[in-house]
Formats: sequence, C-alpha cells, structure tokens
Amino acid sequence: MHTHFKQFVMILTLMSIVALGIVSLTMAGSLASFTGEKGTLKIAGGTAHIPVMKAAAKQIMQAHPDIRISIAGGGSGVGIQQVGEGLVDIGNSGRKPTEKEIAAYGLTLFKWAIDGVGIVINPHNTLTNLSQKQLQAIYAGNVVNWKELGGADHTITVYTRDEASGTRAVFWKKALGKGAITPKANFVVSNGAMKTAVANDPHAIGYVSVGHIDETVAPVALNNVIPSLESVRNGEYPVARGLYSNTREEPTCLTQKFINYLFSKEGQALVAEKGFIPVK
Amino acid sequence: MRMFERSFEKILFTAALLSASITLLIFIFMLVLGLPLFREGLFWDLLSDPWMPQQGLYGIYPMIISTMSIAFLGFLFAFPLSIGVAIFINGLAPGRIGSYVNTAVRLMTGIPTVVYGFVGIFLLIPLMRTILQGGSGMCVLSAALILAVVIAPTMILFFISSFKSVPNAYLRSATALGATPIQKLLYIVVPSSWNGILTGCVLALGRAMGDTMIALMLAGNAVAAPDGIASAARALTAHIALVIAADVNSMAFKSIFACGIVLYVLTAFFTAVLRLTTSRRAAS
Amino acid sequence: MNQCFEKIVIAWCWLSTFLLITAVGVVIGFLVIKGGSALNLKLIFGDTAPLDALLLRRAVFDGLFPAIIGTLLLVLLAILMAAPVGILTGIYMAEYASLSVKKRFGFFFDILAGLPSIVVGLFGLAIVIFLHKYISAHVYPCLFLSAMTLAFLVLPYLIRSTQGALEALPNTIRRTAPALGASRVQNLFLILLPRARDGILNGVILSIGRCAEDTAVIMLTGAVAMAGVPRSVFENYEALPFYIYYISSQYADQQELLSGYAAAIILLCLCGLLFMSALYVNYNFRRGAMNRV
Repeated sequence: MHTHFKQFVMILTLMSIVALGIVSLTMAGSLASFTGEKGTLKIAGGTAHIPVMKAAAKQIMQAHPDIRISIAGGGSGVGIQQVGEGLVDIGNSGRKPTEKEIAAYGLTLFKWAIDGVGIVINPHNTLTNLSQKQLQAIYAGNVVNWKELGGADHTITVYTRDEASGTRAVFWKKALGKGAITPKANFVVSNGAMKTAVANDPHAIGYVSVGHIDETVAPVALNNVIPSLESVRNGEYPVARGLYSNTREEPTCLTQKFINYLFSKEGQALVAEKGFIPVK
Repeated sequence: MRMFERSFEKILFTAALLSASITLLIFIFMLVLGLPLFREGLFWDLLSDPWMPQQGLYGIYPMIISTMSIAFLGFLFAFPLSIGVAIFINGLAPGRIGSYVNTAVRLMTGIPTVVYGFVGIFLLIPLMRTILQGGSGMCVLSAALILAVVIAPTMILFFISSFKSVPNAYLRSATALGATPIQKLLYIVVPSSWNGILTGCVLALGRAMGDTMIALMLAGNAVAAPDGIASAARALTAHIALVIAADVNSMAFKSIFACGIVLYVLTAFFTAVLRLTTSRRAAS
Repeated sequence: MNQCFEKIVIAWCWLSTFLLITAVGVVIGFLVIKGGSALNLKLIFGDTAPLDALLLRRAVFDGLFPAIIGTLLLVLLAILMAAPVGILTGIYMAEYASLSVKKRFGFFFDILAGLPSIVVGLFGLAIVIFLHKYISAHVYPCLFLSAMTLAFLVLPYLIRSTQGALEALPNTIRRTAPALGASRVQNLFLILLPRARDGILNGVILSIGRCAEDTAVIMLTGAVAMAGVPRSVFENYEALPFYIYYISSQYADQQELLSGYAAAIILLCLCGLLFMSALYVNYNFRRGAMNRV
C-alpha cells in the first residue's frame, strides 16, 4: 500500500514537471491546424514510440500532402543525442532525459503517454510469475535452466537491449534493481525486435514495452503483479515510464504542431489504440 | 591538339588521384575520429578488454574473437565445397552440365547477403534451435553455415580461372599417357594452380571477415566472447552497426572507430599478402 | 589405393555441387513459397491508387513503393557519381600510368575493394558528422550522402573492369592507329574505348547490382524505417535492403512479415536481372574479342 502511494506521487510529480516544460497545449492540436504548413519533420529515437509516430504521421501526411515526416528508430539514447545535436526535430525517449542531458542540449520535454516495461516469455512457456530475486538471478546468468523455476528442462535464452535503449534503462533500474545482465545475453535492437525474438523462441525471456505486448508473447507477473495497462495506470505495476518527445529549446512551427497533435483528442486516441496510456 | 592531349591526361590523373586518395582518407578519418583513444593510450586496452560500457570498459576483444571464429569456420565449410564444385565444373561434369553449373554459380554471386540473412533467420535458426537443444539458435555455427554459401561462389570462380590457366601442354601429355579426367584434375591441374587456390582462399577469408549482414542477423550479438560454436557472438562488423546508435561523443562511439581501424588494417594486410603471392606467381 | 581415393574425390565433387545448388535452391524456393502469395499491387502501393502513387500525387503508406523508389534513386545517383571517376581512373591506369604508379595506386584500389562495406559506411557517417560540425548544421544523413558513400564502395569495381577491359585488347589493335599518325587521345576514343565498351559496361552493371543490394552502408547514412518518397536528395529515404533487414527483426504482424518476404523476392529479382544482363554483355564481349583477333 505504501509503495503504491509512493508510485502515485512519483507519477504525479513527473507529470507536473512535464507540465512546466510544455509550451502551448491548448491550441487546437487537430489536423486542421496543419493547413498551410509544408516542409519536413524528422523524428528519431525510442522504438516504443514508433507505432504511434507512424499512425500520427500517416494521418497528417494523408490530409496534408505537402508535409513530409520521416521516422527512424535507434533507441532513447539516439533520440536524445540526435535532437540535441540538431540532426532531427523531435527526439523520442522512453525514459526521462537526465538533468545532464537536459542541460547539455537545452531540451524541452513533452510526455504524451505512459507505458510500462513488462517481462515476456514465449506463450508455450507455462511460467506465470517471477519474484524480483528470480528475475535478477536469471538475468545475471546464475539460473540457467527453466526447470529450476518449475518449467521444462531447457536452457533459458536471455534477451536484452542495447545501452541506448530507454526500455532497457527502465527495466534495469526498476525491475532488475540495477542488477547485472549477463554478457551472454542475445541482443535485439528495438521493442519490435524483442517481441519477434521472444515470440519465435520457445525458451526465451525478455522485456518489452507493455504497449507492445500482444498475443504472440506472454507477460510474466513481477512479484505477482501482471504488467498490463490497468496495473500500470493504477500504479500497481512499478516498472512504468513515460513516453517523451523531446525538442531542442522551443519547438518551431511544424514541430510544435506535431507535438500538439499528439496531445489532441485524435492524438491521444491513437495513443490508446496502440496500447499505451494517454496522459489526457 | 597537344594542349587537349595534355589537359586530358591531367583530367585522367586527377580522377585517379581522387580515387586513390579516398582509400587513404578513409584511414585518416578513422584515425582522427579515434584519436582520443590513442592519446589516452587506450587503443591497446581496447584490443584486449571486454565490452562492458557500464564499467567503462570499451574493449573489442570479444568481437575480434567472434569475427575470427565466424570467418574461419565459414571458410572451413566453404573450402572443400568450393574445391569440389570447381573440379566438377572444370572437367568432371558430363556434357553441358558443367557450363550450366558455371552460370548458376556466377548468378549466385549476385544474391544479396541481406536476403541470405533473411532466409537464415526464418529457416535456419529454428532448425538450429532444435538441433542444438539450447540457446536461441543464433550462434557462430548458424552464421558460419550461411557465410559459407555466400563466399563459396566467389571462391569457385576464382579456382576455376586458375585451373584454366594451367598450360594445355601438361594436360595433353597426361591424356597421351592414358590419364582419366579425374586423374588429370587431381594430380596435375590442382597442384599446378596451388598459388591461385591460395589467392582465392585469402580473398574469401577477407570477404568472410568483412561481412556485416550475415553476422548481424544470425550470430546473436552477445557481448561476451563465444566459448563454442553454439554460443552467440558479435562480430566486429556487427558491433559497428549496433553501436553506431550510441551517443556520438561518448567513448562507446569512439571505440567503433577502433573497430574500423582494426578492420582496415586487416584488409590492408590481406591485400598486401595477395599482391605478393600473385606477383610471385606472375614472376614464375 | 589411388583408385579408391579418386572415386572418393569424384563422389565428393558431385556431392558438393549438389549441396551448393540445393542450398541456394532452398533459399530461393523458401522465399517464393512464403512470399509469392503476397506479391500484388496492394503490397507495393498500400491503400493508395497505383497511378496516384506513380505520379507522386499521393503518398504511399504500408507499401513497398517508397523503398523501391529509394533504391532506384540511390543506385542512379551513386552510379552517376562513381562512373565518370571510375572509368577515367581505369583509363588512366591502363593507358597512361607508369609501372610504379600502377603498382602503388593498384594497391590502394585493391584495399578499397576489400574493405568491409560497414567500414565504408562508417567513413560516410564520419563525413556527415564532420560536415555537420564544421561546415553547416544543415547537413544530415540523406540520399545524397548515402549515394556518395555507395559511390566510394563501387569505385574499385569500375576501375578494375575498365582497366581490365582496356588491357585485354591485343597489342596489334593498340598499335595500328598510332602507326598511322593518330594521337594518343584519338586512339583512345576512336579505337580502344569502343572495343572495350562491353567490358566497361559489364563493370557498370555489376556496380549497379552492388549498390542495389548493399545494406551496411545505407544503414549508417540515411535509410530510415519510414520516410515516403524523398522529394529532394537531401532528405531521408527508404530502401529495399534496409526494409528487409528491418522487417526481419521487428515485424509487427503477419502482414508485415509477408511484405518482408515479398521485398526479398523483389530485390532478388532486381539483382538477378542486373546480373543476367551483365553476363549477357560479358558473353558478347568475349565473343566479339574472339572475332576481332
């Protein structure tokens, strides 16, 4: 109960900090506001954001053919670094940029969704729950066979993400308690890739954005809390993070309009449709 | 007229100079961007440390081991295969089959490696997973098997061209003595083309070490050095592709220029060896 | 004893040929079986009408069209940049270079030919970073810079094939025109180059194939997951090989996976076509060379 309250306060604080960073939200963020705009918008960064980015870009580009939006992945680290260096207009991150990053690049943050990071295994695996200790043991490489956890007699294939990943950062800090990740783990480059890998490998274990979880992978409860939209929304599931879009200093016209679109009714509907928790 | 001649020659020389300087520029850029590594004396550490960015270790030693393992294993699979096919095309095949296979092999050199990688992921990896009974199926062995299919056609074509350059006189005298085709091939053609075969091997090995997509898609990309052919591994080339996403100013990013330098030096070394062996062959 | 050995070798040769052909056959067959059904207009154009897409009136989403156009533009630009430099260099190496220059430059070109494509891509990225930092903050990874890096990649092929084609011309032809008073340049343009044309063409076609299939270089210099058809060469773009790589590790649903198979088939056909035309040109070149002597 105490921890749940703490999580709630944390999320509230996060949201207030973001509210301070937001420039102008109240203007119409709908598609009509893009009329008359032309030019290119470059987006890169967090891979969890990509489904929403693609959907939003499609809506905008179909209604306004003069606008061109290009979307790249790369991970949260890439998003922050590229927007900071001026290589892209919007840098997405699945973790909050650190104080150092905000100061070094002069970032403005926009959080438009809440997401969790859940542990997933292949649907053929019958495991349903892991304690944090067990999770740490698996990822450290100390527990190597599923039978040690009551499952089939087979080695565990551990999957992890690269260092630039915000998903990994959140997983490492909150789920793994900053525990070690074995150097023998297989690397995948995005949330989509993690999902594909775990879905295809019957003995896999990995972690992925809650919004990405579908019937091809099976979520595993952490300390008996199942990662799902509900448990993230009500704070029960602790491994939560915001989905941020960051810009350098104050965003310019087209960039600002895109960000507004994300916060608009249509934008937030897209967020919910893609499996995340809208902030509004 | 003379003026035109001279200026044309100058244009040609400029073009050549431009092309040659690109090769040098590549090396220089790598050095310059990797300069901090040298300044802090870290370069040699990089070659022997493991890759653990969280502990500040940016060593590429595991990647060097992985590249060597995948390349050599792939070569080991490809070499006997290539010799066999080369001998087949060059004399063993009845009628026109030899030339059909030759055309097929030449077409094979045009198949994109990303396509091999794609099929490898969806066909070979699940197979490997069941055969090896452990791991994800993405390992040194899987990458090496597909890599063998990738480098074999080039090796075959090279072997064939060195087989063809054996003087006809040798073959005719062998036939006069009653040799069968396989005997001619085995005891005359192959031993005489030894230099060419060696060159082909060096070329293929170089190609195997430089391949990116097969290693990236099929070898699992674990950061630890592989301790067997069934473990996941990360080649130097794959490492560059994966880390390129990191912060441009951080040590991690700079360490990929170390990878670039290692690969460049390896290539230069192989090229030098090749030129020496071919010039020796031309001289003899 | 020897007889036995020979028999084993014969058996091995047949076996290895069979193995190799089967392996490649399986690869191609697998693609065709799994992806053949997905090859339709919807795959390429998504929900947009094909005519609108082709005339660039409307953007295409969820279709391969932008990737196909991206690959075609990339190849065109790269060859435009590489062919003049490569062919001129090849001419220089074959006709004008002294032996020591030939050796030295030849060594450099061999290194360039042997460099892993990711190292060339890394060079391209380094150039982008360098230009971005010191020349103009408006320099980004884009189609132009990708094409330039690809040009570096295929330069050695063009040089080698031009040089080889010219050097293969028999000395009798080489010496006839000058003996009659023609200048070096006249000899080159009127006699040598036309005869070497097929060999040079062969090199160009091979380079086109190399540009179309390369993934490592474009991954680092401007290809992205979604960008539509680029309106200028200084924008991001999509490309077939990158799409295939991207889909292979992160397909969102079966539909996307099928499109990955289909994209692989399309790329395979594209490269196959290019290669066959290169073989055809080469065949004509060889035949012509034999007739001329």
